Amino acid sequence: MTRYLFKSILQIVPVLFIISMLVFVLVRATGDPVALMLPESATEQDRIEMTEALGLNEPLYVQYGIFISNAIRGDFGISYHYGQQALPLVLERLPASIELAVVSMVISTLIAIPLGILSALKRNSYLDLIISGISVLGKAMPNFWVGIMLILFFSVMLGMFPVSGRGGLENMVLPAFTLGVGLAAQMTRMIRSTMLEILNQDYIRTARSKGIIEAIVVGKHAFRNGLISVVTIMSLQFTSLISGTLITETVFAWPGLGQLLVAAVNNKDMAIIQAAVLIIALLVIVINILTDVVYRLLDPRIKYN
Amino acid sequence: MKNYLTKPLLFVLLATVLLIVAACSSNEDTGNSEDVDQGASEVEDDEKVLTIANATDIESFDIHNNNNTISEAVLINVFDYLIKNDPDGNKVPGLATDWDNIDETSWRLTLRDDVVFHNGDAFTAKDVKFTLERVAQDSALSQYYLYQEIDEVIIEDDYNVTIVTKNPDPIFINRLSRMGSGMLPADYIEENGFDHFLEEPIGTGPYQFSSWTRDDRVELVKNEDYYEGEVEWDAVVFRTIPEASTRVSELLVGGVDIIANVPVADMDRVAGEEGRSIITAPTRRVLQTILRHTDGYVTSDPIVREAIDLAIDKQAIVDSIAGGAGVLTRTSVTPGNFGADPSLYQQSVYDPEEAKRLLEEAGYTSEDLEISFSSAAQYGEYAEVIAAMLTEVGFTVNLDILEATAFYEQFNAKNFEEMFMIGIGNSLNDAANNYGRYLAEQAEDETDYDNPEVEELLQSALVNMDPEDRESQYQQVQQIFAEERPSIYLFQMEGIYGVNDRLDYSPREDEMFIVEEISLD
Repeated sequence: MTRYLFKSILQIVPVLFIISMLVFVLVRATGDPVALMLPESATEQDRIEMTEALGLNEPLYVQYGIFISNAIRGDFGISYHYGQQALPLVLERLPASIELAVVSMVISTLIAIPLGILSALKRNSYLDLIISGISVLGKAMPNFWVGIMLILFFSVMLGMFPVSGRGGLENMVLPAFTLGVGLAAQMTRMIRSTMLEILNQDYIRTARSKGIIEAIVVGKHAFRNGLISVVTIMSLQFTSLISGTLITETVFAWPGLGQLLVAAVNNKDMAIIQAAVLIIALLVIVINILTDVVYRLLDPRIKYN
Repeated sequence: MKNYLTKPLLFVLLATVLLIVAACSSNEDTGNSEDVDQGASEVEDDEKVLTIANATDIESFDIHNNNNTISEAVLINVFDYLIKNDPDGNKVPGLATDWDNIDETSWRLTLRDDVVFHNGDAFTAKDVKFTLERVAQDSALSQYYLYQEIDEVIIEDDYNVTIVTKNPDPIFINRLSRMGSGMLPADYIEENGFDHFLEEPIGTGPYQFSSWTRDDRVELVKNEDYYEGEVEWDAVVFRTIPEASTRVSELLVGGVDIIANVPVADMDRVAGEEGRSIITAPTRRVLQTILRHTDGYVTSDPIVREAIDLAIDKQAIVDSIAGGAGVLTRTSVTPGNFGADPSLYQQSVYDPEEAKRLLEEAGYTSEDLEISFSSAAQYGEYAEVIAAMLTEVGFTVNLDILEATAFYEQFNAKNFEEMFMIGIGNSLNDAANNYGRYLAEQAEDETDYDNPEVEELLQSALVNMDPEDRESQYQQVQQIFAEERPSIYLFQMEGIYGVNDRLDYSPREDEMFIVEEISLD
């Protein structure tokens, strides 16, 4: 296990290096930031002067060399749009994104685990039908629409929660629910099918025939074995939540990573795009390693070489 | 069976209850249960707070490196300009009390001697020199291109400066009455560095920086030492709410007082709510289609251009898509901008039958009348309707609606073909700003518009220091443009604001939110 961890951590370096190269080339292949920084009435001369001032007239490999040698020292360059160091701008958004990601994961887990298990135990009953129906609906409703409906009902009509913005916990309820509903729907269906498969296994029949009470059969023997798939889907969802949930952030004016990244892409703000992609890549790799560790804890039979 | 059913159910119930309790208790914890009504601002309850919501955030507190109206609308409250625009666009004293054009390239300015920055430092000629020379010399700044005309700022004494321009510059005063001339604190920046200034910016304006959470809110508080006396509000919050329907909801629940860019579809929802109103006001932006005069393009024929103009029912477009928020015009230099020709304002032509007749008479068949028409996605609806109107009179329109980024890249690369549509503002308040792209050198490969008379008028007006003569030059250009149609002007766009009735507020034509002009009703 320790060897595995050590190896995984060593692998981060070449992966980040390759990603940095890809993002560097792709960002430059998609357009010229100078075109967007000057207004309609600027002249060709203005554009040339700005290109030179930003160092964008240098050959690509020279620009990359400068970038990577600075990046190793934690300097990702100055954001054109904000005129400030890119890395702190990206890092200051992380708390908002992580906060929202964690709370919506908690909400979706709280909804999905009981509903998924119930649905599997009561297979083909009305309850199962209702839960399945709701989860299909939950998956089908776009976040954009759910968010606006929640605002209209809970904020405008009932005045229970603030409409938008980041502040106390009360500001988080609606955006976290908006995200949580969609995630819960997906997770409920996943848990249901996993549980169905497990409940048909021989060892469950054996456990029941030994007279073990049903709660222990379901909770310990069945669900514990189903946790692997729950952890898999949770880690996948978490990584996509961290990298930003643009639509929900936009609807609730939530200052997370998604808004920053999309604005940076629209503004061709190279320094921000590069810093954000590398930070997100790093987080995804770390979460994947942690997931592997959790697998191992859940199922001691799993071995890593 | 019962046993394992009840446990999970209880679990869900418990979790939900916990969540709600947590949400409500945190409301109490902050001791600010009015948050829902006041927006989640960190200001005291009894303070007089104004909250305004825009769709986008400022770029930074560097007034030289911002390039949009929304940024300026916020920053103008922190940084005073040397010369100000009153609501009618007249130049009035700001930090400079007097200005004189002593020779063709020199301007003498007298400064106020009772102004201090938010940290207590006195405002002097040194700050003027620092500010203007910075923006005039650093070509990486996005405002540089508007200030590169400045050659040097000479300090005569603490409260008198002479500014020397490279060429005669008739719009110099306009440059001094916009964002780039917001005065920066020279000593503060030299001592602490620019990065520190960006973290804790100071200016001389009526409101001073309190906090900024990017893409969320800028909070300003009153400047107790403002040179014009007591200011109106204790605090001002500029919120960034990108989604229009969320802005509307915030206005309805009282979380914000003013919202910009109300979608046409939501106008009734706001107007129907008690205590809320919709206010529309003209902006300097004119929506227009720009046509290619290059040989080989069908739009090089003046008859075709006239037919396009006649085919478009501008009033119908304003009424049906813009929610009535537009004023028809045949010039892009609207009233309030120097050089405007009032005879072309509130005018429009529309006669599809005449358009058909002109094209028929000139012998055009439908194969000849194929044109490409590009537009940015934000004007997509307008573009679709215009394309349909042109099809009615016999054109085949290849409509190309592009994302904003892609559109502006194409625009700057001059890649459009027969026709494209764009809304162009006027950040200098002067006709010179409307015609830069029609000077022969700039027009090359874009419109390829080439009229020696226009070229001479425009070149001369750029350096003509006689205002009357200069005004008449621009008016002549507008008349020629109305005849030759290098572009077809659709309408002057109006801003649509949602406002809480507790305010006495009239939107400005330059779209600035000058907080001192907004008061409680």
